Amino acid sequence: MRRQLYRALALGALAVTAVLAIDGIVHVLAAQTPFGGARPPMNEQAGGIIGWLLAKQSEFYREMSSTIRAAKTDGSAVWALLAISFAYGIFHAAGPGHGKAVISSYLVANRETARRGIALAFVSAMLQSLVAVLIVAIGAWLLNITAKTMCGAEKVIAIASYGLIAAFGARLVWTKGANFIRALQVHPPAPALALASVSVSHGHVRHDHAGHDHASHAHHQHSHFDAHHDHSHDDHGHAHAHDHDHTGHVHDEHCGHSHGPLPSELAGPGGWRRGLGAIFAVGLRPCSGAILVLVFALAQGLFWAGIAATFAMGIGTAITVAAIAVLAVSAGGIARRLSGASDGSGALIMRGIEFAAAGLVLLFGVGLLTGYLFAEPLTCLQSIL
Amino acid sequence: MKQAPSRLIGWLLVALFGMFGSTAAQAHPHVWITSTSELMYAPDGSITGVRHAWTFDDMFSTYALQGIESKKKGVYTHEELAPLAQTNVESLKEFGFFTFAKADGKKQKFEEPVDYFLEYKGGLLVLHFTLPLKTPVRPKVLALEVFDPTFFVDFKLADKDPIRLVGAPEACKFDFQRPNDGAASAQALGEQNFTDGGNVNFGAMFANKITVTCP
Repeated sequence: MRRQLYRALALGALAVTAVLAIDGIVHVLAAQTPFGGARPPMNEQAGGIIGWLLAKQSEFYREMSSTIRAAKTDGSAVWALLAISFAYGIFHAAGPGHGKAVISSYLVANRETARRGIALAFVSAMLQSLVAVLIVAIGAWLLNITAKTMCGAEKVIAIASYGLIAAFGARLVWTKGANFIRALQVHPPAPALALASVSVSHGHVRHDHAGHDHASHAHHQHSHFDAHHDHSHDDHGHAHAHDHDHTGHVHDEHCGHSHGPLPSELAGPGGWRRGLGAIFAVGLRPCSGAILVLVFALAQGLFWAGIAATFAMGIGTAITVAAIAVLAVSAGGIARRLSGASDGSGALIMRGIEFAAAGLVLLFGVGLLTGYLFAEPLTCLQSIL
Repeated sequence: MKQAPSRLIGWLLVALFGMFGSTAAQAHPHVWITSTSELMYAPDGSITGVRHAWTFDDMFSTYALQGIESKKKGVYTHEELAPLAQTNVESLKEFGFFTFAKADGKKQKFEEPVDYFLEYKGGLLVLHFTLPLKTPVRPKVLALEVFDPTFFVDFKLADKDPIRLVGAPEACKFDFQRPNDGAASAQALGEQNFTDGGNVNFGAMFANKITVTCP
């Protein structure tokens, strides 16, 4: 039990350390380039971490235009541009927004693995970059439409994205709500349980529970499709209650952590399609910063550099989002272990958390859609254009 | 052990709400404006309005010019930029033109902008426009702030002569504070302001404060 907890905590700490380390490296890299220029003093009064993040990303963002200009005459400046864009991506995503909250909530709601969280973060960030590139390539490069028209396109895409988040959240709420209600009805509440596939045979899990500790089951369910939870609930709810083996974590570690990403895990029930909804919902909306950089690069005759910068930004964004997703998954894992170790009501609590996380996804979608949560208040610069 | 989950859930909720609430503070600048402003005085010494000249940063200038036709490549006349200028001032209305005036502590209202045009200079767009006060005032202290409360636009007073008084009585003096001045730090907002979702005045800490005193 305790080892699990430490492991989860260590994982979270590692993620944060990784982000900080990467920042340090990037900063050094960027500082070494001749194009960095004098860094403006940080905005000290923009209090605390968020102020620092804001100052940082502004700093990197502002360096992008001068670096793109420099790249016109000096090809090596492109490396500096990539480093700056990457750093910008990391800091930009560290501020709230960018689907990070949606992805994290989704992961907690679905009890997904950290691995899947990282994959989701990367694929959605890459999609986001691709959408930005496509908008500018088609809009500005091929059709030469005005920024104002491009704005309209962005707006439509943003609304579609928010709508998808809301729909996605609604679906999660529906399934998680059903689970939660079922957990409420089955009293004593059923522990979180799913069909295990990886190292525990089906028959074993389904019919021979007594020998298993709760934690191991809880762990396996990471890799399984929702539909399976639903069954397992109905089928086995009672069999489990109060049947805990606190030393069971050894077993848990074995089957929970030691195996790599088995093909069956990624391609398993639902497979990649399982995350597609989240990827599309989050990745559809491009970030204004990327669009600006792309248009600027295009005007400088260096569109390809803009595209490279956009994807570098995307990778940076993905790293931050992935780190936060891992934190969310770890937090969910700790909660699951703690609640699993208490008594039968633990499962109910977990169902409650999942339900709440599902509700958050829906709230985000509705909030964004109605404008209450609009992350960037001036929709794609519309206030000025 | 039974206590632990609920406490943990409490923490999780705090964390989630932190993320949720702070989404509102996502704002960060995508546009930089270097501003110079003139305060316009009537012969009787009352202030009639503010005339701004806002220079956009190069990235945004390029973005705004995307798709705008010009007869000569790289040269844009005021006429060619007129539709864009029109859109600018119309859109800025919703944001109160990022200009906030108080005469002796009393909020002042502005009329629709007049005499506006865009100028293309050295690769940058400069938006010129005049904001007439609804009613000319003759206060002892006029406080003028130029900033975007949502901090999507980062305003910076020009290095040289950011403020000018045009036709003001001789005794009038002006002073200004840039957001980077230590003086503004008194306004610093703590983390709490970010997480409680109230980002309405978030940009205030980046405000450029201009004070004109006439005895």
